[in-house]
Amino acid sequence: MTPIISVTDLRKEFKVFRHHRGALGAFRNLVTREYKVVKAVDGIAFAIEPGELVGYLGPNGAGKSTTIKMLTGILVPTSGEICVSGRVPWRERRAHVARIGAVFGQRNTLWWDLPVVESLDLLRHIYRVPAERYTRNLATFRQLLALDEFLHTPVRSLSLGQLMRANLAAALLHDPDVLFLDEPTIGLDIVAKERIRQFIQRINRERGMTVILTTHDLSDVEKLCERVMMIDRGHLLFDGKLADLLRRFGGERELVVDFADEVLDAAVEGAQIVERDGPRVTYRFARDAISASELISRLSARYRLVDLSVREPEIEATVRRIYEERLLDNDGG
Amino acid sequence: MILGHTMRLYFKLIGIRVRAQMQYRLSFWVDLAGTGLATGVEFLTLAAVFGRFGSIGGWSLGEVAFLYGLVETAFATMDMIFSGFDPDFFSQQVRRGTFDQMLLRPVSLPLQIFASEFLLRRIGRMAQGLAVWGFSLTLTHIAWTPAKLLYLPVVTVSTVAFFGGLFVAGAALCFYTVQSIEAVNIFTYGGTYMLSYPMHIYDEWFRRFFIYIVPSALLVYYPALFFLDKPDPLGLPSFAPFLAPLAGFGTLLAAFALWWVGVRRYTSTGT
Repeated sequence: MTPIISVTDLRKEFKVFRHHRGALGAFRNLVTREYKVVKAVDGIAFAIEPGELVGYLGPNGAGKSTTIKMLTGILVPTSGEICVSGRVPWRERRAHVARIGAVFGQRNTLWWDLPVVESLDLLRHIYRVPAERYTRNLATFRQLLALDEFLHTPVRSLSLGQLMRANLAAALLHDPDVLFLDEPTIGLDIVAKERIRQFIQRINRERGMTVILTTHDLSDVEKLCERVMMIDRGHLLFDGKLADLLRRFGGERELVVDFADEVLDAAVEGAQIVERDGPRVTYRFARDAISASELISRLSARYRLVDLSVREPEIEATVRRIYEERLLDNDGG
Repeated sequence: MILGHTMRLYFKLIGIRVRAQMQYRLSFWVDLAGTGLATGVEFLTLAAVFGRFGSIGGWSLGEVAFLYGLVETAFATMDMIFSGFDPDFFSQQVRRGTFDQMLLRPVSLPLQIFASEFLLRRIGRMAQGLAVWGFSLTLTHIAWTPAKLLYLPVVTVSTVAFFGGLFVAGAALCFYTVQSIEAVNIFTYGGTYMLSYPMHIYDEWFRRFFIYIVPSALLVYYPALFFLDKPDPLGLPSFAPFLAPLAGFGTLLAAFALWWVGVRRYTSTGT
């Protein structure tokens, strides 16, 4: 299969001008142009096949949204190549954006003063969606996103979750080839998040829609994405299966044990104690050093156990550790 | 077919803006009356000056009213149609990321900006301008010829285009720096005030500036000489009154060229 998105040696540099303060400074700003070059995206490459759902991760300022802006055609790269559905985004802006959908964080794309249904109807004209296809798509999204409860409400009166649902429907009415989602669940409560996730999963599975998802919320990634790409300081650190990432770096699991009585010597070989709270002790152990059952049997041989639970490493903590300890820096990805 | 679609879309979007303004009916009418009244008061002040001096630089009240009416009507019309390019408004669009959203829509960018705002209440100022204009016609007794009748709408439209060009050029500056907008405002709003006085009372350098740099004189003053059958005190060639369309649409085209340079800069720097 030919990739639907291919990116080669993509770079984006920004000139950040130094501003001098004060009246004299203002004059200096006019005369001299002192600046430093910031490499927001510094030579990344990847290919995405049709129908993939890819999580694009990175801390703030890592180059995530710069990449997305270049993929959607809002920004022109300094160098390198992008091809989406056979088009160079910034060179054929109108043809390109007619075939993609994008939902950017909490940014609303609908008309503030119009009821949701009229906003969607306007988009039908903008994207020239044939009436029959529009009716069919609208019916689908009304059901999947439960739009009916606010279909006739003015956009400005929607809750954040409703706004996101309406914007998702708006981004998909014209059956785009690729859907770009930037922080689609930010600021939403758990129920609303779950609804959005299920929807993303369904349109990916049932319609074969290619989805690129950037998010801070790693539970989004955990539930949705098989493949993740990690970016930091403009470099692509990892591109592969989420499971592989966790296996490599998420080795540390935790075992929480409630002993029958408070024990003095709770130390056990193969694990270290991270927390003690009366009869409750939390151990941390490496996946490849000892198995959970082995650890439990060692402990139960010595003491009476009342309760225990094994905690898998949180993806969030794992990813944070990868960034903080720069585990992937010389790895190439 | 494509043009038809574009125009339908434009009117649909404009319709939304107008309906939104009408939701605050009282505010709309107060605003409409207010801007109209302000123009009226401005003109009455001007008339009072004439009451004292009889004429300014050989121009009677009726003749100045002709200039004033033309400029006011044209500016108000432009302000309504080009509301989306108003540097104040457009810079907000850029800062709030609304312009990014426009880049994500498969529709021409200027169309989206024209359709992003439409201040219907400018009709108040327009009506006032037309009233002053009508009033001037009762005072000046212009000797109408077919050429004058044909040329009057051309001059009006050209002046609208010229003022539009100032807005578009101002919008282009938004891509460079947001602070510079105030400078443009002085230019446009100050400009309308200045244009409604006879040109030659200004200093030589000022006159040159307006003829050559901001070709306003070609747009309003020289055509007015033609309509009012007045001699040209500056001695420019006799075709000078007919350069208005060139000056007006030339300015607008140049401004759009500048604006596209701004867009290209924006998409390559993202600031």
